[in-house]
Amino acid sequence: MSDTELTPDIIEYGDSALLVQFKTNSFSLDVNNRIHQLSKTLSSKPDWQELVPGYDSILCCFDMARISMERAKKNIATAIKKTASVEITESKIIEVPVVYGGIYGPDMAAIKKSSGLNQSQIIETHSAQPYSVCMMGFIPGFCFLSEIPSPLKHPRHKSPRSLVPAGSVGIAGWQTGIYGLDSPGGWQIIGRTPHKMFDKNREKPFLVKAGDKIKFIPSSKAIFS
Amino acid sequence: MIEVLNGGTQTTLQDAGRPGMRHLGIPSSGAADQLSFALANWMAGNRWDALAIECALGGLHIKFQSSNTVAIAGAEMWAQVNGQNVNNFSAFSVEKGDILTLSFARDGCRSYIAIAGGLKAPEFMNSSSTYLPAKIGGLNGCALRAGDQLISSNRPRSAQRKIPQGFTPKLSRHVVLRSLPGPEWKILDKPSQRHLFVSPFHATNLTDRMGSRLKGDKITTEVPISMTSSPLLPGTLQIDTNGEPILMFADGHCTGGYPRALQVIQSDKWLLGQIAPGTQVSFRRCFQEHSKKILKARNSFYGGLIEGFTF
Repeated sequence: MSDTELTPDIIEYGDSALLVQFKTNSFSLDVNNRIHQLSKTLSSKPDWQELVPGYDSILCCFDMARISMERAKKNIATAIKKTASVEITESKIIEVPVVYGGIYGPDMAAIKKSSGLNQSQIIETHSAQPYSVCMMGFIPGFCFLSEIPSPLKHPRHKSPRSLVPAGSVGIAGWQTGIYGLDSPGGWQIIGRTPHKMFDKNREKPFLVKAGDKIKFIPSSKAIFS
Repeated sequence: MIEVLNGGTQTTLQDAGRPGMRHLGIPSSGAADQLSFALANWMAGNRWDALAIECALGGLHIKFQSSNTVAIAGAEMWAQVNGQNVNNFSAFSVEKGDILTLSFARDGCRSYIAIAGGLKAPEFMNSSSTYLPAKIGGLNGCALRAGDQLISSNRPRSAQRKIPQGFTPKLSRHVVLRSLPGPEWKILDKPSQRHLFVSPFHATNLTDRMGSRLKGDKITTEVPISMTSSPLLPGTLQIDTNGEPILMFADGHCTGGYPRALQVIQSDKWLLGQIAPGTQVSFRRCFQEHSKKILKARNSFYGGLIEGFTF
């Protein structure tokens, strides 16, 4: 890992936000870890109205009536320096049961074809290692996870499905993720979890947050009943 | 209590929204046009951020079950009480059984109806604002429908305030948004950078609380790029793979994968709520130091009238 990759650019995003952008051409777990450390360091100060971590960037919104653009840039630069020495704390692994294939994974056939693996090999490959939750959103509860093993990589659908059920586990390029809500979506769906990633009626509406780790546990259809 | 007789095109309950949750995928939501919303509440004698009705495009009919003070602000929708015209940007009294109707919007998109004492609805993450995609806030997270009952506070009628001269915003069918470069501005080719600031666009039918797809000159990049999903804000102009712009609003996605070409300045974001299908939209180049001055002046002007309100 080179130093240039871990020294981000601080880019102006309109008049009241800054985007801390790391230079990376593909997925980098080092960069993502650094983003979550930086988010932690920044959130100890009341300067920020929003801190939104992404795969290779973090968005920092401030109240321009209170803090100037220059001040905000300086505060971020200081936080970046400080974060260089922060240790990564081991996050606990959250187990997510998934029923792969069948009616729960309508795109399993496409992955079989592109990977040349059979269904049980795909399940084994997809659920072998834990994934980092790199970012949340575009909708409540959607988890963008870290890179999947190469054979499983598959482009998203050319045009999105009009309805992907909540809990669906999908693949898009090198990303894998879980749908938090019923929503339109273009990811290749290989399975589904009965766990609700977002439930507005639960005391803690979100099952995971960015920075956590997830491990998929292959399960039988019975968990849905 | 207030009874909904007709929900209109899309009417939701909104307050100032729930900022600070974008890292969870929850947009701030809240009144799409915060200025008209704040003025409606002010006229009704409320705090600027009290829960109010936001009616998009018109068609709302409501019946009051008790006497109250009501204020209306935003897009002109030819409001009537029992068939008698009432002025936009004004407060008035209603009696038990009175019916308030809104016709269809011209010169804008959203009208705000504030009730003295504010409306009451359960909160989710410190706000009662409706966010339809996740069915959060408002009345079970849904748009208002005939038969819904809205709970207003029992506060007796308050003094009706009149907006002093010069404070009523002028809405038009042509929305001009002063903007600064977004993070990917530099990857647009030179002609596209020029088009963005000189050619008019228009909002298509794909316009709602989440955002608006615009039509106009094609916007292209120097070289084709594929972006990693990255954070997004209301007021961001994204350019999709076909070169068509998408302008994000209060309920817009928290992350996206298209280049972010422009960002509307803080002082002009309230105007996003008044973009209706068909509205002409233009972008004008702004600079950091100007944006700062504009915001300072606007905040002290309206802050002097509406306590606690900022753009």
